Amino acid sequence: MLKKIALEKLGDLVSALMEKGPLYAPVKGEKAVDFQEITNPADVILDFYNTAMSPKFAFFPQSEDLIRYRLGKEATESEAVSLDAKPSVILGVRPCDAKSFEIMDRHFLGAGIIDPYWNDKREKTTIIGYAFDPSTAADPADFYNTLGISASDTAGSDIFMIRTDKHLLFKGITEKGDRLLKELSVLEAGSKTDEKTFEDKAKKGGEVKTRFMEIQDKAVAGKLVQVFNNKEFWEKATAACISCGACTFVCPTCYCFDISDETLFRDGVRKRFWDACMFTDFTLEASGHNPRPRIFQRYRQKVCHKYSYHVDKYGCISCVGCGRCTRSCPVNIDIYSIIESASKL
Amino acid sequence: MQNPYIPMPVEVTKIVTEVETNDIKTFRLNFVNKEDEENFKYLPGQFAELSILGKGESPIGIASSPTQPGYIEFTVQRAGTLVTGIVTTALHDLDVGARIGVRGPLGNSWPIEFLEGKNVVVVGGGFAFTTLRSLIHYMLHKDNRPRFGDISVVYGARTPGLLCYKEELAAWEKRKDIKMHVTVDKGDANWKGREGFVPTVCKEVGPSPENAVTVICGPPIMIRFTLPVFFELGFAKENILTSLEMRMKCGVGKCGRCNVGHKYVCKDGPVFSFAELDKLPRDF
Repeated sequence: MLKKIALEKLGDLVSALMEKGPLYAPVKGEKAVDFQEITNPADVILDFYNTAMSPKFAFFPQSEDLIRYRLGKEATESEAVSLDAKPSVILGVRPCDAKSFEIMDRHFLGAGIIDPYWNDKREKTTIIGYAFDPSTAADPADFYNTLGISASDTAGSDIFMIRTDKHLLFKGITEKGDRLLKELSVLEAGSKTDEKTFEDKAKKGGEVKTRFMEIQDKAVAGKLVQVFNNKEFWEKATAACISCGACTFVCPTCYCFDISDETLFRDGVRKRFWDACMFTDFTLEASGHNPRPRIFQRYRQKVCHKYSYHVDKYGCISCVGCGRCTRSCPVNIDIYSIIESASKL
Repeated sequence: MQNPYIPMPVEVTKIVTEVETNDIKTFRLNFVNKEDEENFKYLPGQFAELSILGKGESPIGIASSPTQPGYIEFTVQRAGTLVTGIVTTALHDLDVGARIGVRGPLGNSWPIEFLEGKNVVVVGGGFAFTTLRSLIHYMLHKDNRPRFGDISVVYGARTPGLLCYKEELAAWEKRKDIKMHVTVDKGDANWKGREGFVPTVCKEVGPSPENAVTVICGPPIMIRFTLPVFFELGFAKENILTSLEMRMKCGVGKCGRCNVGHKYVCKDGPVFSFAELDKLPRDF
C-alpha cells in the first residue's frame, strides 16, 4: 500500500498521529536533533541527518520503574508497576536504527524468557522508517553499508517514508503498518507514478556510500576469539579511552542494564536503568573481586560482545553501523577501525 | 505469565549463625503463598535472587535440597566492603519473622543425570559449600541414594570455627554411604580431626577417576591448587565441574552483566565443566 501527503501538510499528519496515542518524532534541541514525545505538531522536523540518541528508548527507556514500595515500621508495602504501554508511533527512524530493533528483539524476545517490559511497548508501537536523503553524503562516521544496510532499507520498519520534492511517500511494509496507513484519512492514495517515484528513490538510496569493509559474521566472530589474548593490541586500540560509557548510551543495540532501589524517606522505586560494560564496577563482585578492572578489558568486552559473542549466541552482529559511538566519543575511538585492524592481525 | 523481575514474598523462619566470626548465616525461608512454593521447583546448584526492597537484590546459591520440602535455605556471607554488601548486610540484620522476596529458581543445576551411576567426589572450601550441601542432601535422600555410586566429600576451612553446617557434617560422618574428609588449615585445642589444605587432602584421599566426577567449589586459590591434583589423578576436564561467580543483576540472561564469551553465567551457568570453561575467554 502506498500513500502520500504534501510536504506542507506534515503538521496535519502529525496531528492525526498524535490523536492515535503518544508520537515520538525528531525535534531540534539546543545542541542536537533527538526523538521526543510530540506535544506541538510544529516541533517535528524532517531536515536532519540522524538523532544524537538512538530510538531504543521507546522500548527500553533509560530508566523504568518495576516496583513501587513504601517502607513501614512493621512491613513494607509494595506493588508491581503494571505494564500498560499505550499504542504509539515513532516517526522518522533511519534504516540502520530500524534494523537495530530486530537485533534487540533476538535478545529480549527470541531467547530464554520474554522480557515483559520490552515486549509490551514493542508490540504496541508502529515504526515509520525514513530513508536517508540520497542527495546528501553519508556522515564520515557511518558504516551501515558494512553491516549490509542501505540508506533506504525497509527492514525493521512497519511503514517506510521517502521524501520527494513536494511529497512524503509512505509504503506499508508490515500488516501493522498497512493498518495504520488505512486509518490515516489525512493521507491520499498514491498513484502509479508515485509508486515508480518511490521505487526510484529507494533504488537511489542504494547508491549512498558509507565506509565499507567486507565482513562475514562468523569470520569476524572467530577472528576476535583469536585476538582476545593479544593484550598489546587491545591496550593500544583503547589507550585513549576514558571509560565514560557514552558509546554505549547512544548505541541502538546496547542493552545492558542495572536494577537498583531508590528510596526517598519511606517511599521508593525499584527500577532498571541503562548500565554499561565500560563502567569500572560493572563486574565488581560483593567479595571485592573484579574480573575486568582495566579499561582495555572492558572495551574488549564491548567489541567482542557485539562482533563475536552475539554472533555465536544470536546469529548476527549486534551493530548497525549508525556511527553514533564514533561521533560521540570524546577521544575519537572508532569501533570500525578496531574491527578493521583486528581483521588484519 | 509470571513477570520474572517481580519477587515472590517469603518469611524468614529460622536463622543459624554458621561460624564463629558471625559473618555467615543460613536463612530458612517459607513462601507466603502456597502457589509460589509449588512453582518453585529447583535442583541442587541453582540460585535465586534474594530481595529486600529499599536495599536491592543479591544472587545466592540455594543451600537446601528439593528433598527438604516446605522451605528453602540460603547461606549468606555479609560482604560489607565500602561499595558493596548492602543487601547481604541488610539480610544479616533480619530477625525471624521478617518478610523479604525471592526470585527464582535461576540458572542451571549440578547435572544430576550426568552424575547418576557415577562415583561423586565433592570438594568444597570455606563458605562456598552451600550448593554442595544441597547436592549432598539430595544424593543421600533414600529415594535418590541408589542412583549414585560412591560419594566422598573433602571439605575444608581455615579453622574449625569456620566450618559451616557442623551438625550435618557430624551426622554424615556417622553414615556408611558417604565418606567424609573434613579438614582445617589449622586446628585448635579441641580439634581432633584432620589438618591440612584441601588440595593436599584430595591427594591423600586419591579418588579414582574411573567412572567418577568431581564437583569443586571454593575460593579461587583453593580451586587453582586443587585442579592439578585431579588432573594428576587422571580426571578428564569434562568430569571436573564447578560453579562460577560473576556479578549478576537480572538473573534471567537479559541485563548483560554476567556475560562471558557467548554465555550468560546466570542462565547458561553457574555450573560449568572445566572443558566448557576452556572454550570461554579468560574474562571471569
